[in-house]
Amino acid sequence: MSSLEELKSIIQAKFGLEPAAIDEHASIREQGLDSLALAELLFEIEDRLHIDLPNDDPNIDTLTQLAALVDRVRAEKAASSA
Amino acid sequence: MAAAVVTGLGVVSPHGQDARAMFEALMQGHSAVRPVLPEQPKPVVAATCEFNPADWFTLLQLNGVDRVSQLAVAAASLALKDAGLAELPQDTTRVGVYVGCGMGGAASLEAAYASGARSGRVSPLTVPAFMPNAPAAHVAMRHGVHGPVLTYSVACASSAVALAEAAKAIRAGEVDIAIAGGSEALVVPGVVLAWQALMTLAAPQPGHEARACRPFDVNRNGFVLGEGAAFLVLEAEGHARARGATPLAALAGSATNCDATHLTKPDAAGQAAALRGALRQAGLSPSDVGYCNAHGTATKAGDVVEAQALREAFGTAVADLRVSSTKALHGHLLGATGALEAVVTVLALAGRRLPPNAHCEQPDSQCALNLVLQPNHAAPGLQAAVSSSFAFGGTNCVLAFTRA
Repeated sequence: MSSLEELKSIIQAKFGLEPAAIDEHASIREQGLDSLALAELLFEIEDRLHIDLPNDDPNIDTLTQLAALVDRVRAEKAASSA
Repeated sequence: MAAAVVTGLGVVSPHGQDARAMFEALMQGHSAVRPVLPEQPKPVVAATCEFNPADWFTLLQLNGVDRVSQLAVAAASLALKDAGLAELPQDTTRVGVYVGCGMGGAASLEAAYASGARSGRVSPLTVPAFMPNAPAAHVAMRHGVHGPVLTYSVACASSAVALAEAAKAIRAGEVDIAIAGGSEALVVPGVVLAWQALMTLAAPQPGHEARACRPFDVNRNGFVLGEGAAFLVLEAEGHARARGATPLAALAGSATNCDATHLTKPDAAGQAAALRGALRQAGLSPSDVGYCNAHGTATKAGDVVEAQALREAFGTAVADLRVSSTKALHGHLLGATGALEAVVTVLALAGRRLPPNAHCEQPDSQCALNLVLQPNHAAPGLQAAVSSSFAFGGTNCVLAFTRA
């Protein structure tokens, strides 16, 4: 299961951006979320989904990539607690 | 040397977001003080603002912006609009922002302590949210100001000092326009506990919370906390006239000094020197000044010392000096109070009407002054007025305004 839709709904609740207005394959930074907003978004994702994201992953640029990272972290968490 | 004139006023105050409506409420003696934070162990009264951040920020913009900065952006924008400067002139290096702030983002800091203690996790934007110069930076970003953007943290004198320094920058030719004022928003549980522990807050009587603060009254017992932001647009007189703006008043002089005696105990000699210094710089003699918006926090010791300082500085002219502390009605806005009271003083001068020193049923003979005890007082001959701010840390700042 992809976390993409959950991330979109977190972005909507936190920043007021409509899910339909977000291009998940384009740079998040170029869609109005500057470095401060992005830091807050990662914190919010961790809070809501009860996960720990790696601190500095320079490869994350699009929402699709972020969702893939969240999926991986969730899968690892599920595997380690299984 | 360019004269510094006032061309715009903006407030987010316990009496609303219209400076002139706020002044009318004060003229009628309406108190904005009421019970707050009912879950606190001891009763709390304060004068807080009704403010909807969505009127000024999108959700995305609000990210990491503490209430203290939100109030500042709104009040500064209202002041610029009032001055006819919603669009700044092209050379924004000739514009400065001068902001007084005592504490910075109290709510963000408190939220961080709470979440840190609970979960060990803290919002990553806590530092940019609580840093005391955030309000000034947000005002600058909102309006694209590229000149000096400065913050003065001088406790209760913060925004009076900001105004004094802004006027100096105008007189020195450093800027043509100064967006000057202050913001404070610290009515949050932990900070309120700290103020209560210091034993300087008024003890409210149940059912009479609005009248808790009673400056110069024999039964006064402390101040009430307020929150809000107030900004004045100061402008070089020639610059204002050239664009057809009508000055509301001139900030003709100021004086800032320090008692250097005690961190919290006021000192009459230092206050009197600041009063004399402001008059001297403004070219005024004591008998020229018809009104003093007093610091008047309604502490037992503070009001006596302030009255003594006024008598020392004004001599026999103190008999004709009308005095009121409007803190009885809007509370003590700490870092924003000097600017809010400057707005009140400018409107008093422009309209030649004096707001009352409310809740003073029995004036204390130990602080004998010619108090404005009735609402809606007319002062037809008024030519000049002073506004005093005396801070923890010993800094005294007096602003002297004259009619434009």
